[in-house]
Amino acid sequence: MYMNTDFSSLSMMQLSDSFFPAGLYTMSNGLETLYYQKMVTNADGVKELIQMYYLQQVGPADCVALANAYDFAVLGDLDGVMLVDDIICKIKLVKEQREASMRSGRQLIKCVLALGNDPFVAQYHNEIIKSRTPGTYPASFSVAAQSFGISKQNACLMLFYGFGVSIVGAALRLGIIQHIESQKILDSLKPIISEQVGKYISKSYDQIWQFSPQADIFQIHHEKMEAKMFIT
Amino acid sequence: MPKRIPRIGIGGPVGSGKSMLIEKIVPVLAKRGYRICVISNDVISKEDANRIRKNLATEQGLLPENMVIGIATGGCPHTAIREDPSMNLALIEEIEQEHTELDLIILESGGDNVMTTFSPALADYFIYIVDVSGGDKYPRKGGLGIESCDLLVINKIDLAGLINADLSVMDRDAKTLRKGKPHVFVNCKDDTGIEQVVNHIVEDLLFEELPKTHHP
Repeated sequence: MYMNTDFSSLSMMQLSDSFFPAGLYTMSNGLETLYYQKMVTNADGVKELIQMYYLQQVGPADCVALANAYDFAVLGDLDGVMLVDDIICKIKLVKEQREASMRSGRQLIKCVLALGNDPFVAQYHNEIIKSRTPGTYPASFSVAAQSFGISKQNACLMLFYGFGVSIVGAALRLGIIQHIESQKILDSLKPIISEQVGKYISKSYDQIWQFSPQADIFQIHHEKMEAKMFIT
Repeated sequence: MPKRIPRIGIGGPVGSGKSMLIEKIVPVLAKRGYRICVISNDVISKEDANRIRKNLATEQGLLPENMVIGIATGGCPHTAIREDPSMNLALIEEIEQEHTELDLIILESGGDNVMTTFSPALADYFIYIVDVSGGDKYPRKGGLGIESCDLLVINKIDLAGLINADLSVMDRDAKTLRKGKPHVFVNCKDDTGIEQVVNHIVEDLLFEELPKTHHP
Protein backbone atom coordinates (compact mmCIF):
# COMPACT_ATOMS: atom_id res chain seq x y z
CA MET A 1 0.00 0.00 0.00
CA TYR A 2 1.33 3.41 -0.95
CA MET A 3 1.67 5.86 1.86
CA ASN A 4 2.64 9.45 1.31
CA THR A 5 5.47 10.30 3.67
CA ASP A 6 5.48 13.99 2.85
CA PHE A 7 3.80 15.39 5.91
CA SER A 8 4.42 19.05 5.10
CA SER A 9 0.73 19.73 4.41
CA LEU A 10 -0.28 18.20 7.72
CA SER A 11 2.51 20.11 9.44
CA MET A 12 1.18 23.29 7.89
CA MET A 13 -2.24 22.58 9.40
CA GLN A 14 -0.66 21.80 12.75
CA LEU A 15 1.45 24.95 12.90
CA SER A 16 -1.29 27.29 11.67
CA ASP A 17 -3.94 25.81 13.97
CA SER A 18 -4.94 28.11 16.81
CA PHE A 19 -4.67 24.97 18.97
CA PHE A 20 -0.89 25.14 18.51
CA PRO A 21 0.42 26.48 21.84
CA ALA A 22 1.96 29.86 21.07
CA GLY A 23 -0.34 32.04 23.15
CA LEU A 24 -1.72 34.08 20.23
CA TYR A 25 -5.20 34.03 21.79
CA THR A 26 -3.93 36.42 24.47
CA MET A 27 -3.33 39.22 21.97
CA SER A 28 -5.75 41.70 20.46
CA ASN A 29 -3.05 43.92 18.88
CA GLY A 30 -4.65 47.11 20.11
CA LEU A 31 -8.23 46.12 19.27
CA GLU A 32 -9.17 46.09 22.95
CA THR A 33 -8.20 49.77 23.32
CA LEU A 34 -10.03 50.72 20.13
CA TYR A 35 -13.11 48.86 21.30
CA TYR A 36 -13.23 50.57 24.68
CA GLN A 37 -12.69 53.93 22.98
CA LYS A 38 -15.63 53.07 20.67
CA MET A 39 -13.42 53.43 17.60
CA VAL A 40 -14.00 49.85 16.42
CA THR A 41 -17.52 48.65 17.05
CA ASN A 42 -18.41 46.33 14.19
CA ALA A 43 -17.15 43.83 11.62
CA ASP A 44 -16.15 46.53 9.13
CA GLY A 45 -13.99 48.20 11.75
CA VAL A 46 -12.31 44.91 12.65
CA LYS A 47 -11.56 44.17 9.01
CA GLU A 48 -10.22 47.67 8.45
CA LEU A 49 -7.90 47.32 11.43
CA ILE A 50 -6.51 43.99 10.22
CA GLN A 51 -6.00 45.40 6.73
CA MET A 52 -4.13 48.36 8.15
CA TYR A 53 -1.81 46.02 10.05
CA TYR A 54 -1.30 43.86 6.96
CA LEU A 55 -0.31 46.88 4.85
CA GLN A 56 1.74 48.78 7.41
CA GLN A 57 3.28 46.10 9.68
CA VAL A 58 2.76 42.43 8.88
CA GLY A 59 3.61 42.74 5.18
CA PRO A 60 6.60 45.11 5.11
CA ALA A 61 8.06 43.98 8.45
CA ASP A 62 7.01 40.54 9.73
CA CYS A 63 6.57 38.89 6.34
CA VAL A 64 9.90 40.18 5.02
CA ALA A 65 11.59 39.06 8.23
CA LEU A 66 10.02 35.62 8.01
CA ALA A 67 10.96 35.17 4.35
CA ASN A 68 14.58 36.20 4.93
CA ALA A 69 14.99 34.17 8.10
CA TYR A 70 13.51 31.21 6.24
CA ASP A 71 16.11 31.56 3.47
CA PHE A 72 18.90 31.72 6.04
CA ALA A 73 17.46 28.66 7.81
CA VAL A 74 17.46 26.71 4.53
CA LEU A 75 21.17 27.51 4.20
CA GLY A 76 21.79 26.54 7.81
CA ASP A 77 22.96 30.09 8.44
CA LEU A 78 22.17 30.68 12.10
CA ASP A 79 23.87 34.08 12.16
CA GLY A 80 21.59 35.19 9.33
CA VAL A 81 18.48 34.09 11.21
CA MET A 82 19.73 35.91 14.30
CA LEU A 83 20.41 39.06 12.31
CA VAL A 84 16.83 39.13 11.03
CA ASP A 85 15.55 38.24 14.50
CA ASP A 86 17.39 41.23 15.91
CA ILE A 87 16.07 43.62 13.24
CA ILE A 88 12.43 42.60 13.62
CA CYS A 89 12.71 42.82 17.41
CA LYS A 90 14.16 46.32 17.30
CA ILE A 91 11.60 47.56 14.81
CA LYS A 92 8.77 46.74 17.22
CA LEU A 93 8.55 50.04 19.03
CA VAL A 94 5.95 49.13 21.66
CA LYS A 95 7.34 47.18 24.61
CA GLU A 96 4.17 45.17 25.17
CA GLN A 97 4.10 44.09 21.53
CA ARG A 98 7.82 43.32 21.42
CA GLU A 99 7.72 41.19 24.57
CA ALA A 100 4.62 39.33 23.40
CA SER A 101 6.33 38.53 20.09
CA MET A 102 9.37 37.16 21.90
CA ARG A 103 7.36 35.16 24.39
CA SER A 104 5.15 33.52 21.79
CA GLY A 105 8.11 32.91 19.46
CA ARG A 106 10.16 31.26 22.18
CA GLN A 107 7.33 28.99 23.24
CA LEU A 108 6.64 28.07 19.64
CA ILE A 109 10.25 27.04 19.03
CA LYS A 110 10.37 25.16 22.33
CA CYS A 111 7.34 23.14 21.26
CA VAL A 112 8.77 22.42 17.81
CA LEU A 113 12.02 21.33 19.43
CA ALA A 114 10.08 18.84 21.54
CA LEU A 115 8.45 17.38 18.40
CA GLY A 116 11.66 16.36 16.68
CA ASN A 117 15.40 16.51 16.79
CA ASP A 118 16.19 19.10 14.16
CA PRO A 119 19.73 20.29 15.04
CA PHE A 120 19.09 23.74 13.55
CA VAL A 121 16.00 24.23 15.73
CA ALA A 122 18.07 23.08 18.71
CA GLN A 123 20.85 25.56 17.87
CA TYR A 124 18.42 28.43 17.48
CA HIS A 125 16.68 27.50 20.73
CA ASN A 126 20.04 27.36 22.45
CA GLU A 127 20.85 30.90 21.30
CA ILE A 128 17.51 32.07 22.72
CA ILE A 129 18.22 30.39 26.05
CA LYS A 130 21.59 32.12 26.21
CA SER A 131 19.92 35.48 25.42
CA ARG A 132 21.96 35.86 22.24
CA THR A 133 18.88 36.25 20.07
CA PRO A 134 15.39 37.50 21.00
CA GLY A 135 13.36 34.65 19.51
CA THR A 136 10.68 36.86 17.96
CA TYR A 137 7.60 35.21 16.52
CA PRO A 138 8.41 35.79 12.80
CA ALA A 139 11.97 34.45 13.16
CA SER A 140 10.91 31.47 15.29
CA PHE A 141 8.06 30.76 12.89
CA SER A 142 10.45 30.69 9.94
CA VAL A 143 12.77 28.22 11.68
CA ALA A 144 9.79 26.05 12.65
CA ALA A 145 8.24 26.13 9.19
CA GLN A 146 11.51 25.29 7.49
CA SER A 147 12.05 22.42 9.90
CA PHE A 148 8.57 21.07 9.14
CA GLY A 149 9.22 21.20 5.38
CA ILE A 150 6.60 23.90 4.85
CA SER A 151 7.32 26.09 1.83
CA LYS A 152 8.29 29.72 2.30
CA GLN A 153 5.19 30.83 0.42
CA ASN A 154 2.91 28.84 2.71
CA ALA A 155 4.78 29.99 5.81
CA CYS A 156 4.14 33.60 4.80
CA LEU A 157 0.45 32.89 4.15
CA MET A 158 0.22 31.22 7.57
CA LEU A 159 1.76 34.24 9.27
CA PHE A 160 -0.84 36.56 7.80
CA TYR A 161 -3.70 34.17 8.46
CA GLY A 162 -2.62 33.54 12.06
CA PHE A 163 -2.40 37.26 12.73
CA GLY A 164 -5.89 37.75 11.30
CA VAL A 165 -7.29 34.92 13.42
CA SER A 166 -5.74 36.44 16.52
CA ILE A 167 -7.56 39.76 16.04
CA VAL A 168 -10.80 38.19 14.83
CA GLY A 169 -10.76 35.87 17.87
CA ALA A 170 -10.27 38.86 20.14
CA ALA A 171 -13.15 40.67 18.42
CA LEU A 172 -15.37 37.65 18.97
CA ARG A 173 -14.53 37.44 22.68
CA LEU A 174 -14.99 41.17 23.13
CA GLY A 175 -18.47 40.79 21.65
CA ILE A 176 -17.83 43.07 18.67
CA ILE A 177 -18.72 40.40 16.10
CA GLN A 178 -20.50 37.05 15.97
CA HIS A 179 -19.10 33.70 14.88
CA ILE A 180 -20.31 33.78 11.25
CA GLU A 181 -19.05 37.35 10.87
CA SER A 182 -15.64 36.21 12.08
CA GLN A 183 -15.42 33.70 9.23
CA LYS A 184 -16.70 36.29 6.74
CA ILE A 185 -13.87 38.61 7.75
CA LEU A 186 -11.25 35.89 7.42
CA ASP A 187 -12.68 34.92 4.05
CA SER A 188 -12.65 38.48 2.79
CA LEU A 189 -9.00 38.90 3.75
CA LYS A 190 -7.77 36.19 1.39
CA PRO A 191 -7.09 38.50 -1.61
CA ILE A 192 -5.12 41.01 0.42
CA ILE A 193 -3.11 38.25 2.11
CA SER A 194 -2.25 36.77 -1.26
CA GLU A 195 -1.34 40.17 -2.67
CA GLN A 196 0.83 41.12 0.31
CA VAL A 197 2.74 37.84 0.30
CA GLY A 198 3.44 38.31 -3.41
CA LYS A 199 4.62 41.84 -2.76
CA TYR A 200 6.96 41.11 0.14
CA ILE A 201 8.16 37.51 -0.08
CA SER A 202 11.24 38.42 -2.15
CA LYS A 203 12.24 41.64 -0.40
CA SER A 204 15.61 41.72 1.31
CA TYR A 205 15.90 42.13 5.07
CA ASP A 206 17.45 45.56 4.61
CA GLN A 207 14.13 46.66 3.09
CA ILE A 208 12.14 45.90 6.24
CA TRP A 209 9.98 48.81 7.36
CA GLN A 210 6.81 49.50 9.25
CA PHE A 211 4.89 52.71 9.74
CA SER A 212 1.73 52.75 11.82
CA PRO A 213 2.12 55.56 14.35
CA GLN A 214 -1.55 55.69 15.30
CA ALA A 215 -1.62 51.94 15.95
CA ASP A 216 1.56 52.29 18.01
CA ILE A 217 -0.11 54.95 20.13
CA PHE A 218 -3.12 52.71 20.72
CA GLN A 219 -0.80 49.88 21.71
CA ILE A 220 1.05 52.15 24.14
CA HIS A 221 -2.28 53.20 25.58
CA HIS A 222 -3.17 49.53 25.99
CA GLU A 223 -0.01 48.98 28.04
CA LYS A 224 -1.33 51.43 30.60
CA MET A 225 -4.93 50.22 30.74
CA GLU A 226 -6.05 49.19 34.22
CA ALA A 227 -8.73 46.75 33.11
CA LYS A 228 -7.90 44.52 30.20
CA MET A 229 -8.41 41.01 28.89
CA PHE A 230 -5.52 40.89 26.45
CA ILE A 231 -1.73 41.15 26.67
CA THR A 232 -1.55 43.46 23.65
CA MET B 1 19.59 26.38 32.03
CA PRO B 2 18.41 27.63 35.45
CA LYS B 3 16.94 25.13 37.90
CA ARG B 4 13.16 24.85 37.90
CA ILE B 5 11.65 26.68 40.85
CA PRO B 6 8.76 24.77 42.49
CA ARG B 7 5.40 26.12 41.36
CA ILE B 8 1.98 26.06 42.97
CA GLY B 9 -1.12 26.63 40.87
CA ILE B 10 -4.16 27.96 42.69
CA GLY B 11 -7.48 27.69 40.88
CA GLY B 12 -11.12 28.03 41.76
CA PRO B 13 -14.36 29.81 40.94
CA VAL B 14 -14.68 33.61 40.97
CA GLY B 15 -14.96 34.87 44.55
CA SER B 16 -13.86 31.60 46.19
CA GLY B 17 -10.89 33.32 47.84
CA LYS B 18 -7.87 32.55 45.64
CA SER B 19 -6.24 35.95 46.12
CA MET B 20 -7.08 36.01 49.81
CA LEU B 21 -5.55 32.55 50.25
CA ILE B 22 -2.33 33.84 48.65
CA GLU B 23 -2.40 36.89 50.90
CA LYS B 24 -2.63 34.55 53.90
CA ILE B 25 -0.13 31.84 53.01
CA VAL B 26 2.65 34.13 51.75
CA PRO B 27 3.25 35.78 55.16
CA VAL B 28 3.51 32.35 56.84
CA LEU B 29 5.90 31.06 54.18
CA ALA B 30 7.91 34.29 54.26
CA LYS B 31 8.19 34.04 58.04
CA ARG B 32 9.72 30.60 57.54
CA GLY B 33 12.29 32.16 55.21
CA TYR B 34 10.91 31.24 51.79
CA ARG B 35 11.26 33.73 48.94
CA ILE B 36 8.21 33.86 46.74
CA CYS B 37 6.97 35.29 43.46
CA VAL B 38 3.25 35.62 42.74
CA ILE B 39 1.82 35.59 39.21
CA SER B 40 -1.82 36.52 38.95
CA ASN B 41 -3.70 35.52 35.79
CA ASP B 42 -6.19 38.33 35.51
CA VAL B 43 -9.37 37.71 33.57
CA ILE B 44 -10.24 41.31 32.98
CA SER B 45 -8.34 43.61 35.29
CA LYS B 46 -5.19 44.02 37.31
CA GLU B 47 -7.23 44.27 40.49
CA ASP B 48 -6.05 40.99 42.04
CA ALA B 49 -2.38 41.62 41.25
CA ASN B 50 -2.62 45.22 42.46
CA ARG B 51 -4.27 44.19 45.72
CA ILE B 52 -1.75 41.42 46.40
CA ARG B 53 1.16 43.73 45.56
CA LYS B 54 -0.17 46.51 47.80
CA ASN B 55 -0.76 44.17 50.70
CA LEU B 56 2.21 41.79 50.58
CA ALA B 57 4.90 43.97 48.96
CA THR B 58 4.16 47.65 49.58
CA GLU B 59 2.60 47.42 53.03
CA GLN B 60 4.10 44.27 54.58
CA GLY B 61 7.40 44.22 52.65
CA LEU B 62 7.32 40.43 52.39
CA LEU B 63 8.49 40.39 48.78
CA PRO B 64 9.70 42.98 46.27
CA GLU B 65 6.97 44.80 44.34
CA ASN B 66 8.25 43.39 41.04
CA MET B 67 7.65 39.89 42.38
CA VAL B 68 3.89 40.30 42.08
CA ILE B 69 3.05 40.14 38.39
CA GLY B 70 -0.31 40.35 36.64
CA ILE B 71 -0.79 38.67 33.27
CA ALA B 72 -3.77 38.95 30.91
CA THR B 73 -5.26 35.77 29.46
CA GLY B 74 -7.25 36.97 26.45
CA GLY B 75 -10.47 36.19 28.26
CA CYS B 76 -9.52 32.50 28.42
CA PRO B 77 -8.29 31.77 31.97
CA HIS B 78 -8.87 28.05 31.49
CA THR B 79 -6.78 27.91 28.30
CA ALA B 80 -3.98 29.95 29.85
CA ILE B 81 -3.26 27.35 32.50
CA ARG B 82 -4.10 24.14 30.68
CA GLU B 83 -4.39 23.88 26.87
CA ASP B 84 -1.95 26.64 25.97
CA PRO B 85 0.04 27.87 28.97
CA SER B 86 2.68 29.44 26.68
CA MET B 87 2.51 32.97 27.99
CA ASN B 88 2.65 31.85 31.61
CA LEU B 89 5.57 29.53 30.85
CA ALA B 90 7.43 32.28 29.00
CA LEU B 91 7.05 34.60 31.97
CA ILE B 92 8.12 31.92 34.45
CA GLU B 93 11.19 31.07 32.40
CA GLU B 94 12.22 34.73 32.48
CA ILE B 95 11.72 34.80 36.24
CA GLU B 96 13.71 31.59 36.73
CA GLN B 97 16.54 33.06 34.69
CA GLU B 98 16.67 36.34 36.58
CA HIS B 99 15.65 35.32 40.11
CA THR B 100 17.42 32.12 41.06
CA GLU B 101 17.07 33.12 44.71
CA LEU B 102 13.37 32.25 44.70
CA ASP B 103 12.09 29.18 46.56
CA LEU B 104 8.57 29.18 45.20
CA ILE B 105 6.36 30.60 42.46
CA ILE B 106 2.64 30.90 43.17
CA LEU B 107 0.43 31.08 40.11
CA GLU B 108 -3.14 32.26 40.57
CA SER B 109 -5.61 31.27 37.88
CA GLY B 110 -8.32 33.63 36.75
CA GLY B 111 -11.69 32.71 38.24
CA ASP B 112 -13.08 29.78 36.32
CA ASN B 113 -15.39 26.78 36.55
CA VAL B 114 -15.14 23.42 38.29
CA MET B 115 -13.25 21.86 35.36
CA THR B 116 -10.16 24.00 36.00
CA THR B 117 -6.87 22.12 36.08
CA PHE B 118 -3.27 23.21 35.67
CA SER B 119 -0.96 21.78 33.06
CA PRO B 120 1.73 19.75 34.84
CA ALA B 121 4.18 21.65 32.64
CA LEU B 122 3.06 24.80 34.44
CA ALA B 123 2.38 23.82 38.05
CA ASP B 124 3.98 21.14 40.23
CA TYR B 125 1.30 21.36 42.90
CA PHE B 126 -2.34 22.23 42.36
CA ILE B 127 -4.57 23.78 45.01
CA TYR B 128 -8.25 24.09 44.17
CA ILE B 129 -10.33 26.35 46.37
CA VAL B 130 -14.10 26.41 46.77
CA ASP B 131 -16.20 28.15 49.36
CA VAL B 132 -19.15 26.91 51.35
CA SER B 133 -21.52 29.60 50.10
CA GLY B 134 -22.29 27.46 47.06
CA GLY B 135 -23.85 24.93 49.45
CA ASP B 136 -22.63 21.62 50.83
CA LYS B 137 -23.28 19.92 47.47
CA TYR B 138 -19.67 20.85 46.76
CA PRO B 139 -17.42 18.89 46.69
CA ARG B 140 -19.90 16.06 46.01
CA LYS B 141 -20.73 17.44 42.54
CA GLY B 142 -17.13 16.91 41.57
CA GLY B 143 -15.37 18.33 38.54
CA LEU B 144 -11.78 17.99 37.43
CA GLY B 145 -10.55 20.73 39.74
CA ILE B 146 -12.05 19.27 42.90
CA GLU B 147 -11.15 15.71 41.99
CA SER B 148 -7.65 16.08 40.59
CA CYS B 149 -6.08 18.80 42.72
CA ASP B 150 -3.32 17.94 45.17
CA LEU B 151 -5.02 19.90 47.93
CA LEU B 152 -8.65 20.93 48.12
CA VAL B 153 -9.24 24.04 50.20
CA ILE B 154 -12.79 24.74 51.42
CA ASN B 155 -13.01 28.39 52.38
CA LYS B 156 -15.45 30.63 54.28
CA ILE B 157 -16.45 27.99 56.80
CA ASP B 158 -17.79 30.78 59.00
CA LEU B 159 -20.67 31.14 56.53
CA ALA B 160 -21.77 27.51 56.79
CA GLY B 161 -24.39 28.10 59.49
CA LEU B 162 -25.89 31.03 57.61
CA ILE B 163 -26.68 28.98 54.52
CA ASN B 164 -27.36 25.64 56.23
CA ALA B 165 -24.26 24.02 54.76
CA ASP B 166 -23.16 20.97 56.72
CA LEU B 167 -19.36 20.85 56.95
CA SER B 168 -19.43 17.20 58.00
CA VAL B 169 -21.17 16.37 54.72
CA MET B 170 -18.50 18.28 52.79
CA ASP B 171 -15.79 16.51 54.77
CA ARG B 172 -17.30 13.08 54.08
CA ASP B 173 -17.84 13.76 50.38
CA ALA B 174 -14.35 15.21 49.91
CA LYS B 175 -12.85 12.07 51.42
CA THR B 176 -14.97 9.81 49.21
CA LEU B 177 -14.55 11.73 45.98
CA ARG B 178 -10.86 12.43 46.36
CA LYS B 179 -9.96 8.94 47.49
CA GLY B 180 -7.91 10.04 50.45
CA LYS B 181 -6.16 13.04 48.89
CA PRO B 182 -6.07 15.88 51.41
CA HIS B 183 -8.54 18.69 51.94
CA VAL B 184 -8.48 21.53 54.44
CA PHE B 185 -11.26 23.68 55.85
CA VAL B 186 -10.20 27.31 56.15
CA ASN B 187 -11.49 30.72 56.94
CA CYS B 188 -9.14 33.16 55.30
CA LYS B 189 -10.70 36.03 57.26
CA ASP B 190 -9.45 34.75 60.63
CA ASP B 191 -6.58 32.49 59.47
CA THR B 192 -8.29 29.25 60.46
CA GLY B 193 -6.57 26.39 58.61
CA ILE B 194 -3.90 28.55 56.97
CA GLU B 195 -1.02 26.90 58.84
CA GLN B 196 -2.33 23.54 57.66
CA VAL B 197 -2.31 24.68 54.04
CA VAL B 198 1.26 25.93 54.40
CA ASN B 199 2.32 22.66 56.04
CA HIS B 200 0.96 20.74 53.05
CA ILE B 201 2.92 22.99 50.68
CA VAL B 202 6.15 22.59 52.63
CA GLU B 203 5.78 18.83 53.05
CA ASP B 204 4.17 17.77 49.77
CA LEU B 205 5.71 20.24 47.30
CA LEU B 206 8.95 21.43 48.84
CA PHE B 207 9.62 18.10 50.59
CA GLU B 208 10.63 20.06 53.67
CA GLU B 209 13.53 21.60 51.75
CA LEU B 210 14.87 24.52 53.72
CA PRO B 211 14.66 27.98 52.13
CA LYS B 212 17.68 28.88 49.98
CA THR B 213 18.59 31.60 52.49
CA HIS B 214 19.15 28.85 55.09
CA HIS B 215 21.62 26.93 52.94
CA PRO B 216 25.26 27.25 53.98
